[in-house]
Amino acid sequence: MSDNLGNLELIHVFYWLKELLLSTGLGEPYVTIVSYVVLGAVTFGVLALLALFLVWWERKIAAHIQQRFGPMRTGWHGWYQTIMDAVKLLQKEDVRVDKRDKFVFFWAPVVCFVAAFLAYVVMPFGNQLIVADLSIGILYVLAVTTFTVISLLMAGWGSNNKYALLGGMRSAAQVVSYEVPMVAAILTVIVYVGSLSMVDIVEAQSGLFINWFIFKLPFGPIAFIVYIIAATAEANRVPFDIPEAEQELVAGFNIEYSGMKFAMFFLAEFVNMFTVSAIAVTLFFGGWNGVFLPSWVWFLGKTFLVVLLLMMFRWTYPRLRVDQLMEFAWKFLVPLAFANLILGSIMKYLGWYW
Amino acid sequence: MGKLKTEEFVVNMGPVHPATHGVCRLMLTMDGEKVVKIEPVIGYLHRAIEKVCENRTYPQCIPMMDRFEYVTSMSTNQVFSQACERLAEIEVPERAEYLRVIMLELNRIASHLIFYGTTAMDMGALTPFLYGLRERELIIDLFEMTCGQRLTYNYIRIGGVSKDIPKEFIPKCREALDIIEGKLVDYEGLLNENPIWLIRTKGIGHLPAELATSFGVSGPVLRASGVDYDIRRDDPYSIYDRFDWKVAVCQNGDCYDRYLLRLEEIRQSISIVRQALDGLPEGNIKAKVSPKFKPPVGEVYSRIENSRGEMGVYIQSDGTTKPLRVKCRGGSYNQLQALPYFGTGGLVADLVAIFATLDVILPEVDR
Amino acid sequence: MGVFKNLKELIKGMGITGKHLGRHAITIQYPEEKWTMPEGSRGVVVLLSDKKTGELNCTGCGLCEKACPTGAIDLDAPRGEDKKRVLKKFVVDNALCCFCGLCEESCNFCAIKMDTRYEMSVLDKKELIWDMGKLQEMGKDVDYVDTRKKKKPKVAKKPVVKPTEDAKPEAAAVNPGDAKPAAEAAPDKEPEAPKSPDKPAEGDDKKTESGGEN
Repeated sequence: MSDNLGNLELIHVFYWLKELLLSTGLGEPYVTIVSYVVLGAVTFGVLALLALFLVWWERKIAAHIQQRFGPMRTGWHGWYQTIMDAVKLLQKEDVRVDKRDKFVFFWAPVVCFVAAFLAYVVMPFGNQLIVADLSIGILYVLAVTTFTVISLLMAGWGSNNKYALLGGMRSAAQVVSYEVPMVAAILTVIVYVGSLSMVDIVEAQSGLFINWFIFKLPFGPIAFIVYIIAATAEANRVPFDIPEAEQELVAGFNIEYSGMKFAMFFLAEFVNMFTVSAIAVTLFFGGWNGVFLPSWVWFLGKTFLVVLLLMMFRWTYPRLRVDQLMEFAWKFLVPLAFANLILGSIMKYLGWYW
Repeated sequence: MGKLKTEEFVVNMGPVHPATHGVCRLMLTMDGEKVVKIEPVIGYLHRAIEKVCENRTYPQCIPMMDRFEYVTSMSTNQVFSQACERLAEIEVPERAEYLRVIMLELNRIASHLIFYGTTAMDMGALTPFLYGLRERELIIDLFEMTCGQRLTYNYIRIGGVSKDIPKEFIPKCREALDIIEGKLVDYEGLLNENPIWLIRTKGIGHLPAELATSFGVSGPVLRASGVDYDIRRDDPYSIYDRFDWKVAVCQNGDCYDRYLLRLEEIRQSISIVRQALDGLPEGNIKAKVSPKFKPPVGEVYSRIENSRGEMGVYIQSDGTTKPLRVKCRGGSYNQLQALPYFGTGGLVADLVAIFATLDVILPEVDR
Repeated sequence: MGVFKNLKELIKGMGITGKHLGRHAITIQYPEEKWTMPEGSRGVVVLLSDKKTGELNCTGCGLCEKACPTGAIDLDAPRGEDKKRVLKKFVVDNALCCFCGLCEESCNFCAIKMDTRYEMSVLDKKELIWDMGKLQEMGKDVDYVDTRKKKKPKVAKKPVVKPTEDAKPEAAAVNPGDAKPAAEAAPDKEPEAPKSPDKPAEGDDKKTESGGEN
């Protein structure tokens, strides 16, 4: 199943599309642009559907944990509930604060939405199912997911609301802090792979599940735990959801947003959750590697399990306080992650691993 | 490099805010995340219940009293009926007293279950809320079976109770108590030792006993501060002196103690209800009271231990069918007044935790 | 070690929520499924009719109007030429009703009852004001235990009403000591306060003030 063609599947589709369009007689630059747009639209559509599905799924998980039904009206177990919600939000009036910072207020959800989707350029959904296998893959992901914090700050500032501002400031502090242990945890994997490319990372774990980095690494579970904690904070989810802490800041940074702008924040949150889970799968659970089933099924299945874990966090734990959150990041996670990294590097150097 | 210039700013927490349990408004002066000053602003739920009662006959006041504190309506019924009985010197039948105690303690459990849920929810854990309400539903079903309503019971009347319990009440009640007792293990497993819960509540919002007593704080909040005071034991009303139970007291007076204490009170209440069910005598459920109930001229103050502290009613009678003056006292009011004096200094999240563990409900504050 | 204990507690919490994940929901899908309301649940106010004749039991004594703490009942029953009250108007404003059940307890003629039905949401507030016809229609098939005195068939078209053999205790007529039904036991025991000690047999005006003035 690992037939390395050198070219990746989506790129094939891209070239095929390009050929098709060229045969109609369009000029080369136009064809390139159109092909990219089509490819981007397909990826975007798939991800938007995924996010909508995740919203529904979270609601169902929450409901079942709490012994409720959750959405039941729209279709089988309310499967298109989120689509209807999105339609409703589209129709809603876009309420804008009078004294908002117009430019910042408008662009904040857009930045958030776009930043959430950018990471999927290098996401290996399956064997050869990747948009572009950049050589700096994981670094790129880290870089673009951090854009989210800019959007939250923008939303907090632009809303001209104290709660929103507090939420924005909190999120900035939080995301920047948790980036450090997250990177350290990821580096532990990178040290072993020797490459930043997502495809290389996944292929380094090919074979049986014993080759997954969570088992293969000397302190794989610790790296994973550090990563998943940092990732939960990165995705602004309970117990680290202080930017929007409902009972403290009402809704935090998105307090003044309504209609589709709110929906964009909301969907971006779920896309972010999927992103961090997908990275966790890529780094620690062997990515698309698996037997019998198609590779993308393995990838999605594993990712949904990690997402389930994040959802269980959310519906079980109370929220940390903002200073405790920082304390936890800097006094516990960062030392742990770096100790893990140093130990892992030494063991790699000495060759104490299989 | 000079010191960074900071500025205090005012945030209105409420009247519409998820953490203020109704329509309380807290004007917070904040320094960044830190709360420097708290000014509670009340009155958003004022319905003039005391004044309305002046225009109602005594039996008609009891439905009004249901709205005075709707989380534990049974206790409001009890405190008003008790005041009238003391005023007119009415002897309440034995069975009625037992039924009253059963209902009051069940209602206390229901109220504490709500506390468990809302407090956890204010700290961000949403599931305990549903678990708490799930078990509360069992109790509410018992109430509905008995008196026909789920929230505003109008059950305890002057001279007794309005209806006798149905046949299936006692087995169902025992079953519900067993279930709740079993579920308490789940509750404690979810929060008691949870490290996040511990750091959010332990040592937060310390209410010193002197401050508490000087503000007239009562009930679980007072007992969590180490003051061993419970009206059920220290000024017995109804037949509480016949049961064997302990007053739960904690020492630290922080959020965690207030939380633990209420869980312990649920256990004690379960024990009281069990004893009352065992000792439930047969007999009349209501003393003969004329619908044109006219107490003699005089005044009376009756108080009971509600799930939120001392609940009292002062009635001044001029010998007519309507009270001349009614004054209600709810425990929440005093707790809210004490809040500015011990709630400051922490972050907003701490204030939310403190407010939640005070278990303030606003209809009782504003009346 | 602290960290491991904390981790253990965190996992324990997850276990509790995870345990519930597979359990069945305890809620119901409301409009499709409904609770069976217990006997004596206090829902909408209805007027009861005689089981034989189908006429209203109400004699227009006005006790319920006086017992009502919110003034939701508006009743008008002027005396006819033979000194008997004729019920002209009986209006219940459900927007004012607080469902306390005092009207039901004050009634001595099994005329008014709080039924177990509770769904009465309407689009217009005015539709919540129910007149006599609507109240009678709502109360048509409501089961109740007739506790009226059977002698003196002078007032009305209801001569001797046979007690129903329905064994269920009705909320209005539950007897104090035993929750037994027994229509025959009902007339002489009066658990509720507003059901005055001296129970008026007919709609005599002498007794009407016993609900308290408003």
